[in-house]
Amino acid sequence: MSAQPVNTGELAVVGARVRKVDGRELVTGQARFAADLRFPGLLYASARRAGVPAGKLVEVDPSPALRLPGVVAVLLARDIPGPNLIGILPPFDQPLLAAGEVRYEGESLALAVGVSREEARRGAAAVRARIEPWEPILTVEQALDPAARRIHPGGNVTYSKKLVKGDVAQGFAGAQVVVENTYQTSFQEHAYLEPEAVVAVPGGDGRITVYASCQSPFHLRGHIAANLGLPASRVRVVQAYTGGSFGGKDDVATEIGALAAIAAVRLGVPVMIAHEREESIIGSNLRHAARIRYRTGALRDGTLVAGEAEILLDGGAYASESPFVTMKAMIHAAGPYRVPNVRVESTTVYTNKTYCGAFRGFGVPQVTFASESQMDELAAALGLDPLELRRRNALRPGEGTATGQVFTQSVGIGRTIERVAEKAGPRPMGPKPAEGPPAGAQPATDGGRYLYGRGVACLLQGISNGAEGIDVVGASVQMAQDGSALVGVGLTDMGQGSRTVFAQVAAEALGVDITRITVRQVDTDAVHDSGPTVASRSTTVGGTAVLKAAREVAGSLRSMAGLMLKCPPEAVRLAEGFAMLEADPQARIPLAEVATAAYWSGFPLMHLAFSRAPDARFDHETHQGDIYIAYNFGTHLMDVRVDRWTGKVKVLRHLAAHDVGRVVNPLGLEGQVEGGSLIGFALAHLERIDTEGGHIRNANFADYAVPSILDRLPTETLVVEEPSPAGPFGAKGVGEPPVAGAAAAFANAVADATGLRFTRLPITRADIAAALAKEV
Amino acid sequence: MQLEFTCNGRPVRMQADGSMRALDLLRDLLGLTGTKEGCGRGECGACTILVDGSPVNACLLYAAKLQGRAVLTVEGLAKGEVLHPLQEAFLEEGAVQCGYCTPGLLLSSKALLDRVPHPTDPEIEQALSGNLCRCTGYAKILKAVQRAADRAGRGDGTSRRGREAGR
Amino acid sequence: MEYLIAGSVEEALRLMGGLDEQGRSARYVAGGTDLAVQLAGNAAGGQPEALVDVSGIPELLRLERAPGGALSIGAAVRLETLARSADLPACLSQGARAIGSPQIRALGTLGGNLCNASPCGDTLAPVIALGGRLVLASVEGRREVPAEEFFTGPKATVLRPGELLVEVDFGPAALAGRSAFRMIGQREGQAISQVNVAVWLLAEGGRMAEVRAAAGSVAPTPVRLAAAEKLLRGQAWSQGLGREAGQAAAEEVRPIDDVRAPAAYRRLLTAALLREALAEACEGVQ
Ligand SMILES: Cc1cc2nc3c(=O)[nH]c(=O)nc-3n(C[C@H](O)[C@H](O)[C@H](O)COP(=O)(O)OP(=O)(O)OC[C@H]3O[C@@H](n4cnc5c(N)ncnc54)[C@H](O)[C@@H]3O)c2cc1C
Ligand code: FES
Ligand code: FES
Repeated sequence: MSAQPVNTGELAVVGARVRKVDGRELVTGQARFAADLRFPGLLYASARRAGVPAGKLVEVDPSPALRLPGVVAVLLARDIPGPNLIGILPPFDQPLLAAGEVRYEGESLALAVGVSREEARRGAAAVRARIEPWEPILTVEQALDPAARRIHPGGNVTYSKKLVKGDVAQGFAGAQVVVENTYQTSFQEHAYLEPEAVVAVPGGDGRITVYASCQSPFHLRGHIAANLGLPASRVRVVQAYTGGSFGGKDDVATEIGALAAIAAVRLGVPVMIAHEREESIIGSNLRHAARIRYRTGALRDGTLVAGEAEILLDGGAYASESPFVTMKAMIHAAGPYRVPNVRVESTTVYTNKTYCGAFRGFGVPQVTFASESQMDELAAALGLDPLELRRRNALRPGEGTATGQVFTQSVGIGRTIERVAEKAGPRPMGPKPAEGPPAGAQPATDGGRYLYGRGVACLLQGISNGAEGIDVVGASVQMAQDGSALVGVGLTDMGQGSRTVFAQVAAEALGVDITRITVRQVDTDAVHDSGPTVASRSTTVGGTAVLKAAREVAGSLRSMAGLMLKCPPEAVRLAEGFAMLEADPQARIPLAEVATAAYWSGFPLMHLAFSRAPDARFDHETHQGDIYIAYNFGTHLMDVRVDRWTGKVKVLRHLAAHDVGRVVNPLGLEGQVEGGSLIGFALAHLERIDTEGGHIRNANFADYAVPSILDRLPTETLVVEEPSPAGPFGAKGVGEPPVAGAAAAFANAVADATGLRFTRLPITRADIAAALAKEV
Repeated sequence: MQLEFTCNGRPVRMQADGSMRALDLLRDLLGLTGTKEGCGRGECGACTILVDGSPVNACLLYAAKLQGRAVLTVEGLAKGEVLHPLQEAFLEEGAVQCGYCTPGLLLSSKALLDRVPHPTDPEIEQALSGNLCRCTGYAKILKAVQRAADRAGRGDGTSRRGREAGR
Repeated sequence: MEYLIAGSVEEALRLMGGLDEQGRSARYVAGGTDLAVQLAGNAAGGQPEALVDVSGIPELLRLERAPGGALSIGAAVRLETLARSADLPACLSQGARAIGSPQIRALGTLGGNLCNASPCGDTLAPVIALGGRLVLASVEGRREVPAEEFFTGPKATVLRPGELLVEVDFGPAALAGRSAFRMIGQREGQAISQVNVAVWLLAEGGRMAEVRAAAGSVAPTPVRLAAAEKLLRGQAWSQGLGREAGQAAAEEVRPIDDVRAPAAYRRLLTAALLREALAEACEGVQ
């Protein structure tokens, strides 16, 4: 790890409850999202979708569409200049427009361009497609059958990996108690409020600009350029305000970005593609459905001795981020515990369904649900309190994770358990199912109607791409003569508030008020390619780059101020918008004067800095070694009341403790924990993409039950700060971790209340009521 | 058809197809893109506008129904540079993440506070139940509306919390 | 799509008739919250050539209580109005309150909910339980149809082409009795009913002299819960009776599995919601 000491001193801006830096534009309606952009001559495009899950694409006939008034053009696969392929990891497997074969119902076959959104849509609907349907491959078992039709030339296994630590056979041989179960989770939709949208604008200078609601603009640029057959330097991607992404606006943004660009170049006018909600659900990636067989061995005192898991992920029609999800699920399967012997196999397969990819948590929520269910089953078998069992096994500094990585600091799992234990209070009122109703414990009409329970779950979530991929972020800080600074980072803000975090870090390092900092939107012309905005890495890796660049600029200012104050630069402190003598803060010069002087004296006031994760020592065969720069650790607790009659669950209490290293902005932190937890709760209780015969039956918000304000959680965020040397001022990201914690705690709470272990998410009201009815 | 109505306090007189969506009329013909489309089916509330003070889904509203009405969109909330108390409160409480749901939520909240200046939590929840937000988990939105109501209440010396504490 | 606005029942009928003579397809629209969604869903075609807006017709906006206690509610009365009224039969206000969101209720109407005839419509069971009668107008004149006979299938009613629902009438008993409505959906906010139940009863001497119960989303149309009613009639309320009635209702309904709920769950819900609704309606009955 980096040798830089963790700053634990007094901070002015970092740690303060600051307002979102781009909030004003958002509350006044001035912020322009991609579909809000207007250009002269703008045309609209819409894709004809396959509508069948699998088949041979015999013919696509655009002529009926072209006969409609208002339809300008129809693009087919053959009109794509480049390879007609996109994806995350080569070899890319996803076509922009299908040619020859249909692999899922949302497959785009042709792109109709019209003078309005309506006309484009009507045009798309009119395109005639002849598809000879094939029997779709819909389950993981079907896909893995050696006799199965191959969805891709390489077979139906998308990716498969194995992690081996110690010797599980020996571990289980020494175990005194073993629990085993199989768990399942369902497809989940991101359901960001803004459906995907892009506008491609030809520049007239041989270049093309694409404004996009997206997560990784450089990824778009690469694929757009390749498919246009242009050098990447001719393509400019600007991230428009993005209405949420959660991992979801990557492949699909690439797909529509490239299609819009191809249409725009061909027609010489700007072209917009804005998805409808149904397209957004059917035609962009989901969270993988999972089946996880899990076995855990322990000693009678609860000490874990072995863990074994077999993870099968349904990845749908294309690879997308499946390789990373496969791996991340595997690496996190053993939880935040000390487990000497671990063996995990993780496999993703192709099926003829909507493809799966990144979604907040990246495979970790699925395995955490499984492993934390195991912990509760183990606690029950041992007669131990669930929290106590976790406490006994929690990782401590100096101990190895499942990959054998050792952190000597910032291992806060134990402290999150203690925080939750302190705050937990008495168990929720009411009888445990086995005990029968104690007098007066229930409402008068209750008649044993309600069951109460408590669930806890611990988790860890690796920060950064780590050994899974590149991890370099570039950031620039440019100070103007008035002492204000412009910050550019190649990572996107999709609502999670990273622009605010970057502004805070820069303001802290430059000693200015946050209102003097502007963080620009990502424009591939203006910032360094910083890889994808994923893996909770913005704060940690991005923030470190900003800090480095800002410190360089601060260095120039200190040197200048040293000359002005007649002291060595080290004696100068930047704070409150002044350069001042460390020893005598009254001796101070306004920063604007220093910046102006520095400019005229030729000190550099702009700097580009890189933050690069240290080279990992990692064995890609056994998956042993150093993989992430840090882990976020967490413990969640949920108290629930279950209605026996209807299966309704009311969450009475939700504690979410996370070791975040260092709080940069409490407001942003709580927002991430509250929002992430609700997505986890939805995964566990409300949401399931319902497919039948390869068709999604609930591609709308009436039947796909995104939680409303009436369904929210009473989340209380508890903070543990174990500073990490990997992040700015010790901070670690917190974007993803709450999802897994809330989902697993919910499942355990329902199990505790009902005395029944539900092994499949979501655990719906219908599931609970049906299971309880059977009990009686 | 000939349409006449007021939008954000200004009179509008225009020719428009009465069967077009009010959402498209606002966004495409009047350039008011602050009103968002999240589903086009009345299910998400991103397109919420106020018509004669009532929140409605502009994606389901036929333009003809604007005839003679007073429309308020997010663009009409602030008075010049001065933000509406709800806008301030949303920023202060961290109720905005991606901001796509925000215009609709602000308007639903305004409709509530205009009708019930000091709402209880259940009243706020009911009033905002047609506005989905995927980012925030809603807790901060609830707080923001409470805060705006409290602030408005200060004028007559009763804050909601004060009244509740007194109960 | 031409958009026509009718100022009276006669004008609405005349506009519809005229369009029909020209061979042009047309639909009535009230709030449009069902219609706009349906029309947006079929981009490929199926768009009517004209809409006739009936939402501003004064006769359809009336909400009147006759001196004898009879009640009539115009078809275009907004759901929000019903939801907020304290002096309507409880189950009707509760049903209206359960619909969609404030935004939907501000546009949506009672007539639209009934004429749309979705089996999960939340005012359907209340109107049936209250013994409502629907007044339908056509160029031939007016007729009255009991609510129970109005629905013929999912999204199908006895309405003839061009016929307009003018109002729903309730006898004095509707207000004289007690009633309650319950629904449950997949989530708490903006939920579509997986099952809904309405009950109405007249209490006499601590017993239920008359009872009507109806449920939605358990059959192709909203249905009366006849077996449960039979059990309840003449009885005094008790939790035990509620359980039995719930059981009977669960057995008599014929729900299906669909994307919103499995059939077996719908039976459980029918029982649970009927019990709850009865408990509320019977509260304080001496
Ligand atoms: C997001 C959302 C959520 C919803 N949630 C619910 C819910 O929870 N529960 C529920 O019950 N409904 C729900 N609905 C459906 C809808 O809002 C209601 O059915 C509403 O009452 C319809 O009224 P309307 O005036 O908008 O009908 P419209 O859409 O105007 O009309 C509906 C149908 O009735 C016909 N019609 C209307 N008025 C008349 C008349 N006077 N005479 C003859 N025909 C007429 C129309 O031609 C059309 O076919 C929801 C809708 C949406 C979009
Ligand atoms: S866009 Fe109108 S409610 Fe979603
Ligand atoms: S802030 Fe993103 S949807 Fe609400």
